[in-house]
Amino acid sequence: MSEEPTIDKFKQTFLEEAREILVELESALLALNDNRGDNELVGRAFRALHTIKGSGAMFGFDELAAFTHNLENAFDEVRNRRLHVTSELINLSLAALDQIKAMLDEAAGRGEANRTVSAEILLKVRQLTGKPEPRPAEAAPSPEPAPAADATGPVRHWHVRFSPGADLLRTGTDPLLLLRELKQLGSLQIKASMAAIPPIGELDPERCYISWDMVLTTSAAREAISDVFIFVADSCELTIEAMVEPKIEPKIEPAIEQKIEEKIEPKIEAKIELTTEPAIEMRIKPTIEPASSPVSSQVSSAAVAESQAPKAKFPSYGRRASDTPDNASSIRVPAAKLDQFVNLVGELVTVQARLFEIATRREDPEVGAVSEEVDRLTSALRESSISIRMLPIRATFERFRRLVHDLARDLHKEVELTIEGADTELDKSVIDQLNDPLMHLIRNSMDHGIEPPEKRLAAAKRRSATIHLSARHSGASVLISVADDGGGINAEAVRERAIEKGLVAADAQLTEAEIFAFILAPGFSTARQVTDVSGRGVGMDVVRRSVEALRGTIDIASKPGTGTSVTLRLPLTLAIIDGLLVRVEQAYFVLPLATTLECIELTRQDIEQANGKHVANVRGEIIPYIRLREYFNMQTERPEREQIMVAETEDGRYGFVVDQVLGDHQTVIKNLGRFYRHVELISGATILGNGSVALILDPQRLVRDALRTMSVGKRAVGKRVHGKRADVRAAPRTRAPCAAAQSAAAQSAAAQSAAAPSVAAETRARP
Amino acid sequence: MTQTKSKAPSRNADEGSMAMTLDQSEARCVVRMDGEINIACAAELKKLLLQALASGRELRADLDGATELDVTALQLLWAAEREARGSGRGFTLAGRVPEEIASTVRDAGLERFPVGVDAK
Repeated sequence: MSEEPTIDKFKQTFLEEAREILVELESALLALNDNRGDNELVGRAFRALHTIKGSGAMFGFDELAAFTHNLENAFDEVRNRRLHVTSELINLSLAALDQIKAMLDEAAGRGEANRTVSAEILLKVRQLTGKPEPRPAEAAPSPEPAPAADATGPVRHWHVRFSPGADLLRTGTDPLLLLRELKQLGSLQIKASMAAIPPIGELDPERCYISWDMVLTTSAAREAISDVFIFVADSCELTIEAMVEPKIEPKIEPAIEQKIEEKIEPKIEAKIELTTEPAIEMRIKPTIEPASSPVSSQVSSAAVAESQAPKAKFPSYGRRASDTPDNASSIRVPAAKLDQFVNLVGELVTVQARLFEIATRREDPEVGAVSEEVDRLTSALRESSISIRMLPIRATFERFRRLVHDLARDLHKEVELTIEGADTELDKSVIDQLNDPLMHLIRNSMDHGIEPPEKRLAAAKRRSATIHLSARHSGASVLISVADDGGGINAEAVRERAIEKGLVAADAQLTEAEIFAFILAPGFSTARQVTDVSGRGVGMDVVRRSVEALRGTIDIASKPGTGTSVTLRLPLTLAIIDGLLVRVEQAYFVLPLATTLECIELTRQDIEQANGKHVANVRGEIIPYIRLREYFNMQTERPEREQIMVAETEDGRYGFVVDQVLGDHQTVIKNLGRFYRHVELISGATILGNGSVALILDPQRLVRDALRTMSVGKRAVGKRVHGKRADVRAAPRTRAPCAAAQSAAAQSAAAQSAAAPSVAAETRARP
Repeated sequence: MTQTKSKAPSRNADEGSMAMTLDQSEARCVVRMDGEINIACAAELKKLLLQALASGRELRADLDGATELDVTALQLLWAAEREARGSGRGFTLAGRVPEEIASTVRDAGLERFPVGVDAK
């Protein structure tokens, strides 16, 4: 069938959306667990289930719809206060949620959902709701919400005003079906307003111009009414108001019925003569006395709705209708397409650099002008392409609420998860790869860090422990930290274990930082007992690998008895950065612009004044520096004038001395490849306009490396107060980073016949 | 009496899911709607109604064979009836109204049938 691909596309969209709704459902359930009387949360859970059921049935996922329907019923009971929120209900709902996920995976062709589990869950749900046998109607999915005719609430009158938006019909919604659905809630009087219909010549045949004023008499709650419109909430205007007593004059229905009935029966024209009244006279004016108005004069319902129905009264719908006016203008794009887009922009940036190079060389003003224009455009294009990929980390963080909840239950611990900076934005590809490391860190904290409640009480701590997940920006990086207030890391135990495993000699003198670094080694665990949760020593290795792959670093800080915090420092983006291009001899390097503060000149006189120390006096402030020429062991004579680039790092301000600063450079980050993946000081390479290769330096790591190779106690450190903090690098075992850098540079040199920096691993700058 | 019959193009007339025709005689112009009259053929119905209005004759709607009228059809008929009345003509029903259609109009809460129920 020719329509098949379209249907598949819809199904695909449904699967994607359903997963998003499940995330929402999960967060609602977990919040509900902490706050069991919150009706708003019950409503959120109900709506999520209702949406999954409804759209599931629409796209032919009948089994899924039927399953969800049962759970939805349970929440309907909760909403109508016939069922209380218990741990059992929450846990059952979470299990059901997992089952729905499995069903979605199955529909997407991944794995198979276990039918026995479904049956078990359904049985328990029915036991909970007190509905022993699934009635046939209940087992079958129904696209409509459970009719609330049996709801026990008081019978009330509601004034419902529904104006479909311009594009409602185009989304395949039939407003008449919605009205029929509404009618199932109770007795409904409808008046359609046709006033907005334009002359036929100007009428857009695919747009709905009719709006409706209705009076619904029902025992159902407001939520049940608004749920009818749940799928169209974004493309319509809806107000629902409670009324005291509706006064609708002559009945609408019989009036029409009577007239039409006459036409229905016989097919003879003679009958027409019986109907003599002009059609217009049949108009009736339903009048509604608004609940809030003291004025008794009867006004038309439409006027009432406009004057008396401030939207703010219904925040949930007011918000939906007004806060997402441009909902239709946002589109869903597969991540792969986005990656391709960014790659193309990257290529464009490289080509632009070549164009610039040519324009400069030829000194042709015309080409120069074009080059400048292209430069401006690529720069804007690059920024917008990057911003498209930026996502808040919220969804990733929120996902862990479930993990913490489940683990706390399994481990019989009381743990609260607090989240900070969830709106911090990160490149999508970074976020995607963060899930695993964060999961392992949290599992570790839950299992090893946090003590059981009794032990905590004995240590005069709060019974309930806290895990704090936070994210914040710092220059061109994002800091993501997982902190707990548990028992902390026993450095001595780690040391013993390291000796036991032969990682270090028994008499080695180790700093705390060096000891903590062992935690990241593969297969390392101090746990004597391997539990379900952790202890196999795999987790931290995963963390290290993932963070390395993202060119990030790991900091571990811990204090016995007070807790542990692990901070991941990750680059904002993996694709393109703003860099500063510098030259040392014939070698080019790029330093990230985001960390660079200023460039100043370093003269021989300055050097003499410093008495051989590698420090510069910048407006009274002493800034230690690293001379790249020496750091990379380039043997040639240094020029008369050098330049210092002052950069802000975690360890304070440091300068990097280069021969010449060439200017800013849009830097497309290319990986050095697997062979050089342990080269820490170089975060990648980029291709310059003339085809040569520039290595991208990581100032943070350069400084750390320089500090580490210096003897403790003789450090000239940047302005920073050092706390009891252990700084651990992601890959402590890599000891010869520069050798690889040299090879990388040599390779580029071979290819480009440009002189490479002669680099040696062993010689380091010792300020 | 001359009768011209123009059949509006439909997606697949053989399937009979929907069909609309315009029957013109000297005195009146009958818009016949068969099957499901919904958004899929709304543009077509509009064209047909404009054609019928342009004929200057009395307008009749024949819904005998219709099985469904949706919101788009209702508002088009409504607009056409208003236009016809404005130019001193009538747009009324010819023949019987199937129960499904009658109930749709009821459910939609229209204060009257979109086209006139009685003949002038």
